Amino acid sequence: MILQQIVNGISIGAVYALIAVGYSLVYSVLNFSNFAHGDVLMLGAYIGFFSLMLLKVPFPLAIAMAMVGAGIIAMIIEKIAYRPLRLRRAPLLYFMISAMGMSIFLQNFTIVTIGPNFRTYPDIFPVKPFAVGNLSIGRLDLVILIATVIVLLLLTWLVYKTRIGIAIQAAAYNMRVASLMGINPDLIATLVFLLAGASAGIGGVLFGMKYTVYPWMGVLTIKAFVAAVVGGLGSLPGAVVGAFVLGITETFAAAYISSAFRDLFSYLLMTIIIVARPAGLMGTVAQEKA
Amino acid sequence: MTHLLECKDLHVKYGGVHALRGISLHVDEGEIVTIIGANGAGKSTLLNAISAIVPISSGEILYEGQPLPRKAHQVVARGIAQVPEGRQVFANLTVKDNLKIGAFLRRDAQGVAADLERVYRIFPRLRERENQYAGSLSGGEQQMLVIGRGLMSHPRLMLMDEPSLGLAPMLVQEIFKVIREINREGTTLLLVEQNAHKALAIAHRAYVLETGEIIREGYGQDLLKDPAVQEAYLGARRTARQK
Repeated sequence: MILQQIVNGISIGAVYALIAVGYSLVYSVLNFSNFAHGDVLMLGAYIGFFSLMLLKVPFPLAIAMAMVGAGIIAMIIEKIAYRPLRLRRAPLLYFMISAMGMSIFLQNFTIVTIGPNFRTYPDIFPVKPFAVGNLSIGRLDLVILIATVIVLLLLTWLVYKTRIGIAIQAAAYNMRVASLMGINPDLIATLVFLLAGASAGIGGVLFGMKYTVYPWMGVLTIKAFVAAVVGGLGSLPGAVVGAFVLGITETFAAAYISSAFRDLFSYLLMTIIIVARPAGLMGTVAQEKA
Repeated sequence: MTHLLECKDLHVKYGGVHALRGISLHVDEGEIVTIIGANGAGKSTLLNAISAIVPISSGEILYEGQPLPRKAHQVVARGIAQVPEGRQVFANLTVKDNLKIGAFLRRDAQGVAADLERVYRIFPRLRERENQYAGSLSGGEQQMLVIGRGLMSHPRLMLMDEPSLGLAPMLVQEIFKVIREINREGTTLLLVEQNAHKALAIAHRAYVLETGEIIREGYGQDLLKDPAVQEAYLGARRTARQK
């Protein structure tokens, strides 16, 4: 029973991880929480859904289209909602407000154009779970886990091993000094939003398959934001660790206490972590950022 | 003759402060030019204005006779590197990655490898620590790293902001030796320093900055002997009294 709950927790944690890395990546470079991130995920979920239903593309291609589409949408959001503020050196609060405005706009735009109804992904993988001993592992959960691992490995390689990734890390540490190295801050911002958007895109497809697709589903990603905070906002490994810790905490709370208390425990976990370790589980103590 | 770098009647105002009030100066190819002055005189602001990190209110900055672009990364692309004050390493990156990021705009892998060797030759300590995080280095090592990082872009002109600040006397000696060596190997230097004595001793020419204005200029050696400069910046009176 305990093992089964851990399996369930890892499955939900994997989706949180995909979304949390996007929150963390943007925060690490630009120092604000992009609250329109959930709506990029929602749009990714729709792109995947319509690619499958209308264009009848194979599943992997649908995921690729959702990633590319959501990545481009995130880049456009950065350009119109955040870049003008950044170039004017606006206070960080303005970025948050702009993000919330963008979020409300995207949700309502989707309601008006696509409609407010819930949509269900077709069953691409057999619903019947694998049985390993007493454990039952959903096939979709397994796909989610594998996809998450692949995306996270790719992202890790990109950020820690490539030239441009090292530039992202430099910019995250100190954007001003990074620009003295010839790094263009606009380029880094574009790139970071592209990466965050693409991982939200695949996250949206997986989320949509596990649950349903609807215009305000982005609200659910607030849990992923909690995961990013628990892990240490701005730290990629932290976001992943935080996501799995949160996923497992939630499933245990739901299984052993009451599913009504599930969210209570998520936020309780966040509060305890913030009070005990303000930088999060793996976050570095605020260097020169406030 | 066109100067390598020329500032004409440069004004910078920010946050209600008129930090630079009509600065005109030039740097020629191959020189070490130093700017001395007290804290808050506007020395760092001047370098940051050239690097396009702070916007200029009026005046011009010409590089090889052409106006410099007003974005920091484009200034680097033109061949001007800045070694910022206060050992601003990327603490989250290794020593080697710090150096590589200094060569971010370069596409000639061989040239970059050669410059990495050159930096390691000048600062052998950095080679020993190449896989350590820059945040774990001592203050002196971090200063070597930011200078090395500046060299990695293979600049024609390097702007150095207080490279000796807060270092032990022996390290200060070493840093000034390196500054001379870098210049002899062909890099033009614009050096901002509080350690006026040492800076004037190695500089070809110097400017004295006071509350945003240039109050004196001349050859480094001449300013060293200038009584007014001695009194204000070289602590001559105090030395005399001690005698």
